[in-house]
Amino acid sequence: MRLLELEINGDRLHVAAPPHWTLLEVLRYELGLTGTKQGCDKGDCGACTVLVDGKPQLSCLMLGSAAQGHAITTIEGLLPAHRAQGGAGADPVQDAFDRCGALQCGFCQPGMMLSAKALLSENPTPTSTDIKHALSGNLCRCTGYTQILEAALLAATKTEEVL
Amino acid sequence: MLRLPTFQLHEPASLKEACALFAEHGAAAKILAGGTDLLPNLKHEIYDVDHVISLAKLPGITGFEMQGHDLVIGALTPLAQVATNPNIQKHAPALAQAASLVAGPQHRQMGTLGGNVMLDTRCQWINQSYFWREALGFCLKKDGTVCHVVEGGKKCVAAASNDTAPALMTLGASLTFVSATGTREIPIEDLWVADGINNKSARPGEILTEIRLPLRDHTHHGAYGKLRERGSIDFPLLGCAVRIDLDDADCVRDAAVSLVALQARPLLIKGVDALLQGLKLGSTELDQAIEAVAQLAHKKCKPLDNIPGDKDYRRRMVPVYVRRTLRAALDGTGPVHHI
Amino acid sequence: MAARDQHGSGAPWGAEFKVVGQPHRKIDGLAKATGSAVYTDDIQLPGMLHAKTLRSPHAHANIVSIDVTKALELEGVHAIITGTDLPINYGVIPWTPDEHALANGKVRFIGDEVAAVAAIDEDTANAALKLIKVEYEVLEAFFDPREALAKTEPAIHEQKPLKDGSSRGNVSKHVKLEFGDVDAALASSDVVVEHDYSFHGTTHAAIEPHCAVGQYSADGLLTVHSSTQITHYVQRALARVLELPEAKVRVIQPFLGGAFGGKSDPFSLEFCVAKLAMITGRPVKMLWTREEVFYAHRGRHPMQLTYRTGANKDGKLTATDAKILIDGGSYSSFGLVTTYYSGQLLTGPVDIPTYRFDSTRVFTNKPPCGPKRGHGSVQPRFAFEIQLDEIAEKLNLDPIELRRRNWQGEQTKTVNGQRITSNGFMQCLDLVEQQSDWKARYGKLPDGRGLGVAGSMYISGTNYPIYPNDMPQAGIQLQVDRSGRVTVFTGGNDIGQGSSSMCAYIVSEELGVDLGDIRVIAADTDLCPVDLGAYSSRVTFMVGNATIDACRKLRKQICTAVAEKWEVEVAAVRLGGGLALCLSDAQKTIPVREAFQWAEARFDTLGSTGSYNTPTLGGDYRGGTIGASPAYSFTAHAAEVTVDRETGRITCEKVWCAHDCGRALNPTLVKGQIEGSVYMGAAEVTMEDHGINRFGLHSGPSLLDYRIPTSLDTPDIEALIVESIDPEGPYGAKEAGEGPLHSVIPAIANAVYDAVGIRLRHLPFTPGKVLAALEEKEAGQPAGTAS
Ligand SMILES: Cc1cc2nc3c(=O)[nH]c(=O)nc-3n(C[C@H](O)[C@H](O)[C@H](O)COP(=O)(O)OP(=O)(O)OC[C@H]3O[C@@H](n4cnc5c(N)ncnc54)[C@H](O)[C@@H]3O)c2cc1C
Ligand code: SF4
Ligand code: FES
Ligand code: FES
Repeated sequence: MRLLELEINGDRLHVAAPPHWTLLEVLRYELGLTGTKQGCDKGDCGACTVLVDGKPQLSCLMLGSAAQGHAITTIEGLLPAHRAQGGAGADPVQDAFDRCGALQCGFCQPGMMLSAKALLSENPTPTSTDIKHALSGNLCRCTGYTQILEAALLAATKTEEVL
Repeated sequence: MLRLPTFQLHEPASLKEACALFAEHGAAAKILAGGTDLLPNLKHEIYDVDHVISLAKLPGITGFEMQGHDLVIGALTPLAQVATNPNIQKHAPALAQAASLVAGPQHRQMGTLGGNVMLDTRCQWINQSYFWREALGFCLKKDGTVCHVVEGGKKCVAAASNDTAPALMTLGASLTFVSATGTREIPIEDLWVADGINNKSARPGEILTEIRLPLRDHTHHGAYGKLRERGSIDFPLLGCAVRIDLDDADCVRDAAVSLVALQARPLLIKGVDALLQGLKLGSTELDQAIEAVAQLAHKKCKPLDNIPGDKDYRRRMVPVYVRRTLRAALDGTGPVHHI
Repeated sequence: MAARDQHGSGAPWGAEFKVVGQPHRKIDGLAKATGSAVYTDDIQLPGMLHAKTLRSPHAHANIVSIDVTKALELEGVHAIITGTDLPINYGVIPWTPDEHALANGKVRFIGDEVAAVAAIDEDTANAALKLIKVEYEVLEAFFDPREALAKTEPAIHEQKPLKDGSSRGNVSKHVKLEFGDVDAALASSDVVVEHDYSFHGTTHAAIEPHCAVGQYSADGLLTVHSSTQITHYVQRALARVLELPEAKVRVIQPFLGGAFGGKSDPFSLEFCVAKLAMITGRPVKMLWTREEVFYAHRGRHPMQLTYRTGANKDGKLTATDAKILIDGGSYSSFGLVTTYYSGQLLTGPVDIPTYRFDSTRVFTNKPPCGPKRGHGSVQPRFAFEIQLDEIAEKLNLDPIELRRRNWQGEQTKTVNGQRITSNGFMQCLDLVEQQSDWKARYGKLPDGRGLGVAGSMYISGTNYPIYPNDMPQAGIQLQVDRSGRVTVFTGGNDIGQGSSSMCAYIVSEELGVDLGDIRVIAADTDLCPVDLGAYSSRVTFMVGNATIDACRKLRKQICTAVAEKWEVEVAAVRLGGGLALCLSDAQKTIPVREAFQWAEARFDTLGSTGSYNTPTLGGDYRGGTIGASPAYSFTAHAAEVTVDRETGRITCEKVWCAHDCGRALNPTLVKGQIEGSVYMGAAEVTMEDHGINRFGLHSGPSLLDYRIPTSLDTPDIEALIVESIDPEGPYGAKEAGEGPLHSVIPAIANAVYDAVGIRLRHLPFTPGKVLAALEEKEAGQPAGTAS
C-alpha cells in the first residue's frame, strides 16, 4: 500500500492503493469515480481516457502513483468545471454529444468526450479530419463515429461562442 | 479486469539513484517510462520482475537540446512532442513522421522516445495472456522450449516493432546509456542483437538517457512509411524509413533505407547509397535506381509469421513501401500511410 | 391484450404528430455524457467479493478430476465452485439446452468455463485459479466444420440418435426446405449463376465487457445485475439452474455498454455470481476480461455457401438454390434459429419464385457462435446479392434495374409463406441511385474506383417467442402521478439503441406530457412487466405497440374526466404539448397535470397496462414461423470503393444507405442505427476476423488484434430514411437496428468488381487476396476463380 496524493478534477485527494494498481483501478474502485470506463484492460480501446494536465492519456496503462503531481480530469469533472465558470446545463462537449445522438450505449463516450475536449482546447476550430485524427484512439462500437463527428463539430462552434 | 502482477515500485528522484536501484535489482527489475509497452507486457506476465523502477520523477531527461552539431532528445520525451517539434520536423523528418504514426493519440502522449527505442519485440505467440500462452504450451521467449514461428527453431525471431527505430537508424543516431558503472554512447546500429528474447545489447542496469542526432541542413530529405491495417493504434506490419541527402547540384550525396517489423532487428539495407549516389533529382537514372533499391530491399527482407499479418503479403509490400517512401522523401510528401 | 391493427399508424389525434418524427435527445443521454450512468461494473456493494473463472486450456477434453484444496486454503478465498455445483443444463433455446455454467465433465473449446473462485479481490481470485489442479483426458478436436461433419467420433455433444437410429454426429441442426420446383425452374432458365462463397467469423466486440453482480438475501431472494440484453430469459435460466422459484429471482440490467447480440444468451458468469453469492452470503461480482469476452463470443457464424440462381432474359429471377454449411462452434446458443434464418430471410425484397435451401449447422471445438446483428441472414445475403450482380452483368442490365424488375411488392407473401406488409424497397433503390449519382458514375469511374449496390430485408421481431406460451411478447405498465409525472415500466432492454427513450417519446405523444416529466424504469424483472428482450429487432415494434396500447387506455380515462368537467364530447379533448385542450373551445386549456388530477379524482389512482403479441404468421410447415415477422424492414446500399492495385488495399470511401424503417420515431436515433450498422458491416469486409488458429486458440482475443475500425477507418456514411408507414407498427415504425447492416457487405464486393473487375467471393477481402485475384485476372483466368 502506498498513500497517493492525487489531484482529480481540482480536488486534492489522498488515497491508499497497492503500487500495482492502475490509475483506472484507483479511480473506479477506490474513489468511486466510475465514469471512467474500462473496455480492454490494456491500452487498446481508449475507454479509460482521462486528461493528464489537459492531454488525453490511458488510465489503464498508468500506475496510480504516476498520476501524482499531475492534474487529472475525468468525465465527472466537466460539468462542475463548466458550472464553476458560470455555465448552465452541461459542458458544451457533453451537450453537443447528447444533442447529436452520439451517445448510444455511452460506454466509449467519457473517453471520447475527453479526447474531444482536449482537441478543442488546443484547436477551437478543428476540421473533420482533425477530429477524426484526434479521436482515432477511442474505439466506439455503436455509432460509426458519424454523429460523434457531428457532435465535435457542433461543440467547436459552441466553444467558439463561449470564447 | 486484466490485472498487473504485484511488484515493488521505485520512484527514484535522481538518475544516480535510479542507476543504483537498477544495478541492485538487475534482471529482476524493469524500467518504467511511459508504460505503454511495459504495462501490457506485465499484465501478460511475460516478465518475471519483482521491481519496477519508474523514471517519472527524474529531472532533465525530457526535451530537446541543440548541442553543437547535434540535436539531443531526452529519452523521456513523449512521442507526441517528437512528432510535432519543429526542429525534429526539419532535421529529422523521418523521425517526426514515424513518431506521429506510433499507436494512437493517447499512446503518443504517454509513450516516450526512449521507451520506443527500448520496445520489446513482438510476436503473435507472445503478446497474449498467461492463460493463452499456457494453453499454447508457451514458447522460447518465455516459459517454453519451442518456437511456433520457425518450426524446430532454436532462436526467438519475434519482431522489432518500434516505428522510430528505422528512422533513427537512417539518421545515424547514437544512444547514451547510463549505469551505476558509467556512461556509454553507442551508435544505434550497435544496439540490436538478432535475438527476439532480448534484441538489445543494453544490459540490465543501463538506462537510456539521450538520443543524439547529427543536425542536417536543407539538403536532407527523409520520410517514413508504415503499413498497418487501421489508420491508428496498430503496430507496424512493416515500417520503412529513408534518408536522402543531396549535394548542391541536387545529386544524391548519401542515402539510407531501414526497415522494421521483420525479425528481431530493425534492418539497415546495405548498398543503398551505392545505388543512389551521384544521381540527379528528377533524372530517369534516379527513378531506375529507386526501383533497384526497392528490389534490393525485397531481396534482403524476409518477414516471418511472427507478428499477425500474412508474411507473403508483407514481403510483397517491401519494395512498394521502399519505393513510395523514397519518393515521398524527395517530394516532401511523407509519411507514406494509407490514411 | 392488444390485437394487431388496433393502433394504426396515424397520430393519436389524427393530425400532425407533436413528438414523433422529430429529433429529440435521449432521456438518458446526459447521464451517459456526464459519467453518472451506472453500468454493471460500476456497482460496488458492501462486502462484495470478486470472482474469476478457470478456463479450459484444451479444445476438447474430458475432465478426469478437479482438485481445489490448495486454492481453498489460500487466504482470502471464500468459495470455489465447479460443474458439480451447477449440474443443471440450460440454453437460450429450450430445445437445445446443451450448456452448463461450468463444465459438466467435458470441455469443448479453449476458454470453456471449468471453475469459479470468489475471493476478497481479483488478485486473490486469480492466484487461487493457478492453484486449482485439473486433470484432463484430451480428445481429438475439430476446428474445420467439414471435418466435424465427416467424422462422428468423438462427438462434441452427446445427442439423441436420428429417427432412423443413425448418429447425429456433430450436426447441431439440419434444415432443408423447398418451395416450388427449383430444379425445373433452373433447367428452363436463360441464365444460371453458380458459385461458392464464404463468410468468416466476426464478433460483436461491444466496448463494455460482460459483467454480473449477484446478491442473495437472508430471506432467499436472488438479485443479479447483469450486462444482458435478455433479462427475462436470464431470470428463467437462473431459476432453472439454481432451482429457485422464478418469483425469487430478480434480474436487473443496468446501463449497458453495447451488445449487438453478444449479450443475448444466459452466460456462465450470471450463474456463477448467483451461486457464489448463495454459498458465501455476500455479494459477488464477476467482470470478464476482454479476452474472456472473445471466448464468450456468440458472434457471426462462419458459413460456406453454394448458391445457384437462375433468371430469364427479361431479368426476372426464376429460382435460387442454396447449400450452406454453418460452423456453429461448441454450443447451440441460438443455432436452431440461425439455421432457419440462413434460409428463411432471403425471400425479399426481390421475389424468388422457387427456392430451396439446405443448411447444416455443425459443432466444432471453437467459441460458440450465435446471433450477431443481422442474425443468420447477413451471410446468405452476401452470397445472393453478389449473384444478382452477376446475373445483371450477364443480362447486360443495370444492377439497380435488375432489382427493380424483381421487386416483390407490398402486401404480398413470399415464396416461403412470409407475409409482407409495407415495403419501401423501391424508394430505397431510388434514393441510393440518386444520391450516389449512380447513373452518371456506375461503370464509368476511373480504374481503381467503383460503385456497387445491394439490397436486403430484415425482421421486426418474429412471432416465435423462444419458449412456447400464449402470453404477450411485450408488456408495459404506466404509473401517473398528480405532479404530472408519468413513469413507464418496461421489460425492454435498452442496449444503447434508445428503447427507453422510444417509450418516453410515445408517452409524450399520447399523453401530452413533456419528455422531461417522463421516467422510464426498464429491464428490472421485479418492477417491470415482461418483455422478451432486445434481439431480432423486436423492441420498437413490440414494446412500442404495447406502450401505445397502455397510453390509449389512460388517455381515454383522462379525456373522459376532462370532457365531463368541461361538459364537452370526449372526442373534443386533446392532450399535447403539456396541455389538455378543447377542440371546440379554444378558451378551455389546462396543464396535463391538472387533467391527471381530474382523472385521478374521477377514476381513482391512475395507471394502465398495455401489451403486444404478434398475429399468427408464417408458413404452414415445420419451421414456418421462424423468421415470420409482423413487418419487414428494407434496405438498399450503394458503396463506393477505391482499390489500390499495388497494395491490394480496398478502401470503402462512402456508403449511401437507404433504409425503410416504417416510420422514424426519432430520426436522430434511426440515423445512428443506420450509421452504426453500416460501419459494423463494412468492417466485416476488410478488417475483422474472429479467427481460430491451428492450435484451436483464438488468434488474437484483444481489441488490438481483433481490429474494429477507428474513426479514421470508417467510410463516410449517408443515412437516408425511407418511411413506408407500416400498418401494424407503432405509428408505422418497423426496425432500424439490424437491417441496415446486411447489404453493405455485398455492395462493397460489387463495388470492387466495378473498380477493378475482380469478383471476390470469400470474406474477408484481405489485400493479399485482392492482389492474387488481380494477378489471376491479368493472367487471363476467368474473374473470380481467385481466393
Ligand atoms: C495499443 C498499442 C498500440 C501500439 N502501437 C505501437 C506502434 O504502432 N508503434 C510502436 O512503435 N509502438 C506501439 N506501441 C508501443 C508503445 O506505445 C510505444 O512503443 C511507446 O513508444 C513505448 O514507450 P513507453 O515510454 O511507453 O515505454 P515503456 O512501456 O515505459 O517501456 C518500454 C520498454 O523499454 C524499457 N525502457 C523504457 N525506457 C527506458 C529507458 N530510458 N532506459 C532503459 N529501458 C527503458 C522498459 O523497461 C520497457 O521494457 C503500442 C502500444 C499499445 C498499447
Ligand atoms: S518468435 Fe514468437 S513463438 Fe518464436 S520464440 Fe519468439 S515469441 Fe515465441
Ligand atoms: S481500458 Fe484503457 S485503453 Fe481500453
Ligand atoms: S456509444 Fe457505444 S461504444 Fe460508443
